[in-house]
Amino acid sequence: MARVAPSPGRGIFLAFGARHVKGVAVSRWVAAACFVIAGALLLAFGQWWGVVFFLAAGLNGSLAYLVPRWNLFRDAPKNVERVRELQRSRAVVMDDAAARLRRIEQDLHDGAQAQMVAVVMKLGLARDHLSTTAARTGGASYDRAVELVDAARRAAMEAITELRDLARGIHPPALDEGLGAALAGLAARSGLAVELVVDLPERPSPAIETMAYFCAAELLTNAAKHSGAQRAKLEVGHQPGLVTMRVSDDGAGGARLEPGGGLAGLAERVKTVDGRLQVESPAGGPTVVTAELPSHV
Amino acid sequence: MRIVIAEDSAVIRAGLVEILADRGHQTVAAVGDAEALRAAVDEHEPDAAVVDVRMPPGYTDEGIRAAIAIRRDHPGTGVLVFSQYIETRHAAELLGAASGRGAAGIGYLLKDRVGDVGEFVDALSRVAAGGTALDPEVITQLLGATRRTDDLDALTPREHDVLSLMAEGRSNGAIAGTLVISERAVEKHVANIFAKLGLAPSDADHRRVLAVLRYLES
Repeated sequence: MARVAPSPGRGIFLAFGARHVKGVAVSRWVAAACFVIAGALLLAFGQWWGVVFFLAAGLNGSLAYLVPRWNLFRDAPKNVERVRELQRSRAVVMDDAAARLRRIEQDLHDGAQAQMVAVVMKLGLARDHLSTTAARTGGASYDRAVELVDAARRAAMEAITELRDLARGIHPPALDEGLGAALAGLAARSGLAVELVVDLPERPSPAIETMAYFCAAELLTNAAKHSGAQRAKLEVGHQPGLVTMRVSDDGAGGARLEPGGGLAGLAERVKTVDGRLQVESPAGGPTVVTAELPSHV
Repeated sequence: MRIVIAEDSAVIRAGLVEILADRGHQTVAAVGDAEALRAAVDEHEPDAAVVDVRMPPGYTDEGIRAAIAIRRDHPGTGVLVFSQYIETRHAAELLGAASGRGAAGIGYLLKDRVGDVGEFVDALSRVAAGGTALDPEVITQLLGATRRTDDLDALTPREHDVLSLMAEGRSNGAIAGTLVISERAVEKHVANIFAKLGLAPSDADHRRVLAVLRYLES
């Protein structure tokens, strides 16, 4: 559950504004200190009623301690409701973002990618016609034209490959058929021999599927790039309300959750849906990374 | 050849019709979704169908479902599946369905391959004639997925090359040409592959399909 900052206490004796340390109004502590000093001075000069200042200091100190706690207690139901509201709006935002990414991928597929395929077709035909003509007439300028058209055709084909990788990085189309389907493709494209075990009786929400997919993608890339692993195992299972994912490899180990590192970034992203990432990677291996995600945001 | 095209993108559809016409083939129908594709194949009984994977209404794997259904209902029609993405699972489903028929007549290519018009039309002709045409990308992905299987581990790198070209639907002659070795050497490799995969000597074509499927399924 998210931590909620207590609302500032109401100033009763003295209030110097709303500075808070650990949820306690600084003004109260300052006031209490002033009362203690004033009381001590009065007593020192033999004014017995200086005791009243000590009482005031005690009262202020107690209030400084109690008011924020009382406020927390008083606001608890409101805060619980607020957390629920935030969770709801987060779910809406995340699902909306997932849907938006899916739409961008579809637009690329139907737009730029399709147009490029059409361009490649025309260039392919043009090259064939030109080279037939070049062979018949034997003109050097025809040969040059064939070369140019062929270079354009190859560049266009490369652009299609790049667009495909880009689109897959935005939203892997196979995710539409489920996390298992998308992970199978990911495992096949990985540089490692990946054993895949997926046991999900029902589909998590789209944002969770997307997060699990990119989590797996990054962990497999890490295993291939940094650990020197040959084989990896990718297991996706479920517990009530949770999707669990385990990526293990036979590499050299030594992976750590360092601030600013890739794994820490991954852990941060997992946290945005109240998930958890755990890394076990002793020197010499093996590395086992476990991610727990809620099935629904 | 008489061909039916199913592709929801109008520009690609028009481009395919143009390419096929240029090579002297007749497009008997060009449609935009899986349902219209089934109807067109029922009506025209074409030699081959070129089928996009993502089509209305769901834009997921409508083309794969239609391709499998066409192979089941129209043995005379080869199906070339044509997609922006290669998905290993789709390849396995298509080839699983093909092996059920004891033959292929199935192709699975990335859309960019049309850039090489000659090879694309060759692939389509192979599929129409009951052969297979698999994108090198399919082979790479399936190879990636197969590295853990012991049977295939026993193959030498050269035998792997030969098997992957067999999976693309190439004949021994074509494999010899690609690898720049003699056809006799290819035959030897193929015999070794059959032996290592434990395929009994029976009908050579049948064993060839089985070897490819073993390679693809594992």
